[in-house]
Amino acid sequence: MHQIRYFLAVSETLNLTKAAVRCNVAQPSLTRAIKALETELGGELLRRERALSHLTELGQRMLPMLRQCYETALAAKVVATSIRKGDAAPLSVAVSQTVALRAFTPVLRELSRVVPGLQLKLRRGSGSEVAEYLKSGTAELAIAGPLGEAWSRLNAFLLFEEPVDLIVNRNHRLVGRNRVELGELASETLLINMECERLQELRACLEANGIRDTATHQVATQEDLLELLRANLGVAIDAVGEAETSGLCRIPLNELNLVRRVSVYTVAGRQRTTACATLLNMLRAADWRFDTGATQQRRAYR
Amino acid sequence: MTDPKLTDLLEESFLRCRDLEAPLADRLNAFANELRSLGPHFQATVDALVSRLAASGAGAAAPKVGEPMPEFLLPDDQGRLIRLEDFLNEGPVALAFNRGHWCPYCRINIDALARAQEEIASERCQIAAIVPDRQRFTVWLKSDTGAKFPVLTDMDNGYAMTLGLAIYVGDALKRLMASSGWDPSVSQGTDNWMLPIPATFIVGTDGIVRARFVEPDFRLRMTIEEMLAALRAAN
Repeated sequence: MHQIRYFLAVSETLNLTKAAVRCNVAQPSLTRAIKALETELGGELLRRERALSHLTELGQRMLPMLRQCYETALAAKVVATSIRKGDAAPLSVAVSQTVALRAFTPVLRELSRVVPGLQLKLRRGSGSEVAEYLKSGTAELAIAGPLGEAWSRLNAFLLFEEPVDLIVNRNHRLVGRNRVELGELASETLLINMECERLQELRACLEANGIRDTATHQVATQEDLLELLRANLGVAIDAVGEAETSGLCRIPLNELNLVRRVSVYTVAGRQRTTACATLLNMLRAADWRFDTGATQQRRAYR
Repeated sequence: MTDPKLTDLLEESFLRCRDLEAPLADRLNAFANELRSLGPHFQATVDALVSRLAASGAGAAAPKVGEPMPEFLLPDDQGRLIRLEDFLNEGPVALAFNRGHWCPYCRINIDALARAQEEIASERCQIAAIVPDRQRFTVWLKSDTGAKFPVLTDMDNGYAMTLGLAIYVGDALKRLMASSGWDPSVSQGTDNWMLPIPATFIVGTDGIVRARFVEPDFRLRMTIEEMLAALRAAN
């Protein structure tokens, strides 16, 4: 593990002397460790020059994966030393407006069983607000759809995908249909959650199918969207989870091939707390039953 | 690209070797021989990796006999978080690091552990397998082998790495594995192609390692007899 720590230090300083100082180790030890890592990986990671070292192609390629493993390993060490103590364990999580918490409560319950000092700070927000919470460090971990962020320090791990369907009230005229054409919605009032991460994508899709001047009701929270659906004030195009659709009907839409991809996000390079590291591993390891990766499953199960 | 004929052949070979009524080492060796006859190029690539790992001292830093086994907190196949301490409160434990549900050697290894599980349980000892696979695949691994013991998920090989057991398979073997249908990225939920060096640690109730088997050559595993003897001695 120290070999990777030294390599990461060299990749940041591009200078063996500086890297050795940063790692608090003599330079020959650092050089030896990197040589051993190179032997293990089967190629040179560094092109050594007097003042400045460069990463080789292999070094560039290995850097992100070594960093990811190192961070998980570092977190595993922190977890191992802290779980005995039962110290207060603050955990700030940001969840997008459009993601229902219910799917995640069993995981949170298990986390609080093992981390008795757990103190949860749960925030809600739009996609851009969630991204901002992560950047500023207000949230350590986030669960959301695509954040539309190109920030290189943002780590995203896909949890599951859900198809985007038409959601209507149980008394709506379209209930009972197997499929609906987008064109049939021209006369409907669309309920739109303005905080939805996929709003632009959805608008583009509607316009591409000739739906431009539909009447809309705009809401800012998912609860309000569901409430207006229950009151039959309009229809929605959304990826609402099974648990929330009681009293509502979900109908697949032709021409619409949108899915909601829900991911867990963290920020690379920040030290993770025990609670955060454990929650991240639990979310990533969990079997999300509504995962649609059916073809991948078949391949992997052979 | 996956060659369906090769993967079918490999699965047939695997089943033949898994179902042998023979000691673990013989079953592992039988599969290694089958693999040699199916694809001789495989052998050279695997040998190259194993000698590279040996040269770099991979696995040398892992806890030795007499040293404490570091604590862990890992989710099991049901999503429950398990600590090393949870096992030690009950008795000695054998921790078996395996590479994943896709690896024939690991399936044979875990199958052999499952064959011995009643005997081990009757001596008030325990087994836990640790793999970098996610839950959907640890559940599958349990039903494939009939294992009643927990199979724990070590995401990104994080715990294995703290023990100096995580390695990169290398570009050459990565290509060969992908073409044989042995792609760990789906089950690991990351495409970094890191794997643990297979290893078994027998840990006493005091948390001290009583016996260990750490071997960069993933075709070799701790024998069931050695494991049983070490568990008994630790009890």
